[in-house]
Amino acid sequence: MRAILPWVAVLGFAMLAQVAVGPVVGHYWTKILMDVGIAVLLAVSLNIVNGFTGQFSIGHAGFMAVGGYTAGILTYYGGAALFDLPPGAVAPGIAGHLWFALSTLVGGVVAAVAGVVVGLPSLRLRGDYLAIVTLGFGEIMRVLLTRTEDVIGSAEELATAPWTTQVVSTGGSLGFTGLPFYTNLFWTWLWTGIAILVAYRLKESSTGRAMLSVREDEVASGAMGVRTTDVKVIAFAMAALFAGIAGGLFAHEIGTTLNPAELGFQKSFEIVIMVVLGGMGSVTGAALAATILTIVPELLREFSEYRMIVYAALLVVVMLVRPTGLLGHREIWHAWRRS
Amino acid sequence: MTPALFARGVSIRFGGLAAVSNFELALPVGGLYGLIGPNGAGKTTLFNLLTGVYRPDQGEIRLGERDLIGSAPSAIAASGLARTFQNIRLFHQLSALDNVRVAQFAHRRTGLVATLLRTPAWRREEEADRAAAEAWLTAVGLEGRGAELARNLPYGDQRRLEIARALALRPKVLLLDEPAAGMNPQEKLGLRSLIRTLRDTYDLSILLIEHDMGLVMDVCEHITVLDHGEVIARGTAAEVQVDPAVVEAYLGSPEAA
Ligand SMILES: Nc1ncnc2c1ncn2[C@@H]1O[C@H](COP(=O)(O)OP(=O)(O)OP(=O)(O)O)[C@@H](O)[C@H]1O
Ligand SMILES: [Mg+2]
Repeated sequence: MRAILPWVAVLGFAMLAQVAVGPVVGHYWTKILMDVGIAVLLAVSLNIVNGFTGQFSIGHAGFMAVGGYTAGILTYYGGAALFDLPPGAVAPGIAGHLWFALSTLVGGVVAAVAGVVVGLPSLRLRGDYLAIVTLGFGEIMRVLLTRTEDVIGSAEELATAPWTTQVVSTGGSLGFTGLPFYTNLFWTWLWTGIAILVAYRLKESSTGRAMLSVREDEVASGAMGVRTTDVKVIAFAMAALFAGIAGGLFAHEIGTTLNPAELGFQKSFEIVIMVVLGGMGSVTGAALAATILTIVPELLREFSEYRMIVYAALLVVVMLVRPTGLLGHREIWHAWRRS
Repeated sequence: MTPALFARGVSIRFGGLAAVSNFELALPVGGLYGLIGPNGAGKTTLFNLLTGVYRPDQGEIRLGERDLIGSAPSAIAASGLARTFQNIRLFHQLSALDNVRVAQFAHRRTGLVATLLRTPAWRREEEADRAAAEAWLTAVGLEGRGAELARNLPYGDQRRLEIARALALRPKVLLLDEPAAGMNPQEKLGLRSLIRTLRDTYDLSILLIEHDMGLVMDVCEHITVLDHGEVIARGTAAEVQVDPAVVEAYLGSPEAA
């Protein structure tokens, strides 16, 4: 019973966000709160790899793209076939939303599989190979996605297009436009809440301690019986799963376009900064940094051109002044108690 | 009776350097053996060979009946061969208790799903492991210190924590690489009785590398002497002490016994 309560709380929290917060704060802030949720989801999940196991992945946006495009194909083309609607139409009622939830989940699973395939060779080794491989993976994803066919916009055309054509008709560099707007505060904060709960429970468990031990000293970890490659692969797959789900949420959010340029290295870099700034290994730190780094640029819109410069400078300052990030390895309530 | 740990013909070269040549050892169950030799003799390299960090060019290594050649360090550790490190390799940012608990992971029965759902079985195992980890801390004299970060512990306590962590693997054989290094005379006395107690209480077989001759000669019932990667003498403390080859090896080295 005690173990189920947090899941119920996450569900309740997501419902509350949808019915009580959304209508009160209005469209503009609803959009920002969805952006915040997606950013937190990305940062908390990347933290499982970079913070817990100490491996450096810098291609998180690549997994976001895998999940986003997979979910997009499922809701856009799959949804049209399933509900007998024109492509891109929001299926009415609960059925549409359940199809969306399933699509995001499938997107996450595909991203996780991609994560294992991409990560396994370099995770078997020690050192910084993962950074290079994930960087390469992100770039390959981006380039491949610019090469796809135009989105099929009309129902007539779609009727004659085989599914093999559909899955490569994701709009190329123009992006996968016309995706139905399913993403709302409920789905965003449900997945985000789940990711936070999973990350936290992981950290406070023997599996999580095994991950932390890999970060601390991989040789000693192996000598203490930890199968270090397995532990790293599990962490990497979990991170990719949530990144893929975040991609699905991003793809179906109002005011965003799922295009390759959005999900390039710059995006990956932003997520890395959130993790480093929050404190490597701190779940609440990652969430806090993601929230701040999403809201502040929004409030300072006129400076948004300089955002990447500010991020880079911020990273340098953190490295110099407080190399362990805002919260270090600890959680927010520990910091509270100490100070 | 099958020895707890058996090695024969074990050799490894690093480029032109024969770091360990033709090493032989049969550590009996319950034995407390010593391994000594001047700096650079190949003692730590031998531990790395036994625990699978390096793969020997030749030779056989067995833990009980189990052939260890080619197994991953984690598999060797989980099958009952634990070690400490000469140059302390604790998980510095983790608490003392968590350091010990990491070594319990290999024996966990509940998996990832149970972990995330926090099933009753997971909870029970977690509780049992915590109690066991605290008991290991107590066993090495670190009772009540579980919450401290490993890196904040004094040097001698860090060495003890390494032993507690190794014990949490519930090993059959324990390899200790210079556990007394950096300890003051009083701490060394404590360590001496700890090593004996461990062997007697936990059915352990222990192989001890140590430069402190007083300690080795006192606790070890059998000593192997290594020099330039080769075994130059073996026998009881009394025997190796008067062995001319040993005397020469030590007098020829800057750090004489
Ligand atoms: N990975 C390696 N690559 C190359 N040479 C190595 C490697 N590991 C150890 N050596 C060399 O092998 C020799 C034996 O080293 P080892 O650390 O085993 O000595 P030791 O007996 O433990 O010495 P000490 O008492 O100083 O700890 C040394 O000359 C060392 O430089
Ligand atoms: Mg050594």
